[in-house]
Amino acid sequence: MNSWRHGALAQGLLRCHDCSALWPVSLEGHHCPRCGAPLHSRTPHSLTRTWALLLTSALLMLPANLLPIMRVTMLSSQGDASTILGGVIELTKHGLWGIAIVVLAASILIPVGKILALASLLIAIQFGKATNLRQKMVMFRIVHWIGRWSMLDIFVVGILVALVQFGNLAYIVGQTGALAFAGVVVFTMLAANTLDTRLIWDRHLQEASIGSET
Amino acid sequence: MNALQPDNRIACHECDLLMQRPQIQGDQVVNCPRCGSRLISSHPNSAERSLALALAGLILLLPANLFPVLTLEVLGRQQEQTIFSSAMVLYRDGLALVALAVLLFAILVPLCKLLLLTYLSGALHLRRRWPLLPLAMRSYQHLDQWGMLEVYLIAVLVSVVKLVDIADVHPGLGLYSLGALIAVTALSSSQLDPDLFWHQIADLGDPVERVETGHE
Repeated sequence: MNSWRHGALAQGLLRCHDCSALWPVSLEGHHCPRCGAPLHSRTPHSLTRTWALLLTSALLMLPANLLPIMRVTMLSSQGDASTILGGVIELTKHGLWGIAIVVLAASILIPVGKILALASLLIAIQFGKATNLRQKMVMFRIVHWIGRWSMLDIFVVGILVALVQFGNLAYIVGQTGALAFAGVVVFTMLAANTLDTRLIWDRHLQEASIGSET
Repeated sequence: MNALQPDNRIACHECDLLMQRPQIQGDQVVNCPRCGSRLISSHPNSAERSLALALAGLILLLPANLFPVLTLEVLGRQQEQTIFSSAMVLYRDGLALVALAVLLFAILVPLCKLLLLTYLSGALHLRRRWPLLPLAMRSYQHLDQWGMLEVYLIAVLVSVVKLVDIADVHPGLGLYSLGALIAVTALSSSQLDPDLFWHQIADLGDPVERVETGHE
């Protein structure tokens, strides 16, 4: 398995994160001569920062799901506070199963899944064995791509609040749960951005070199 | 390219594999043989295609933001909604940060992306050394994932489904413009060749600097 040693860093090169030019590792910490971005062979403090952002979003999951994201006031029902899960249940009551599944996926399954997936990648880098590397990369790419879709519910709140403005007849107000939920989305996206996937491969390189010595 | 920068090789951004730069002809996609990430997505006239799409996007951005996306009718009273108003009502309800997020992700970031892309592809097409090209390209790459117009469109459809039982919902001109704008921006991302852009930006760089480093 000689190819594991063919990393750029192992050959004394680092890759500019922004313009992908290759430079000698001696330029670490300097700015890229081609595009001006700070040069680092690996994202600095990648694991610590990803853990911090991940814990922040995990904690924000609680208020995001427990607090109402909007309050619906109508002639029939006075001041109905609606949480994310409540909104999904409301949709199923009306028989709108398709849209209920979309909202459930975007608002609950994806954020929870993202936090679990990133945590499992971090644990694998720090403690686990370097196996199934390609599967891990596929998982990371899905997490990275899908993150923005969780903003769906925030946009829905904005649109509903802007549309349903009929005084005493029907009225919707945004609530604090939306703030916590937007926080979850933004912090998980930042967490995925700061996780340097090359660390997954570095771990494998370490294990391979230890294995070949013994 | 200068001696410091071995341009005959490339490294994978996701697994750090170092390899020979492949020979690329025409529209071609190169994936990392080790981890499968997208290394190069080549489009020979990427600057021209991007310029056309970015200009189309800027034109479509106007009706998408000026005309109402949805109109709700309850007992003869009408309420219109634009992308901007869906951000402002959240500010009114005391959710200033959420309002800012909607404003950024649904209006400002898509606008900045289109402006940056017009500037970049315009400079590369005309072969002019306009100022701050590397910074513009870096900004575009960092902003890329924060533009969420397509998520907003799905949110509009979810809202329609939620409201359709209660009242009459009418789609506005803004909704159709938004759909067209998303098609154009999606096409412009797929036609962008960052590798080519960076090489062209470097080639437009200071000629004096290139002579100094070129003969080492």
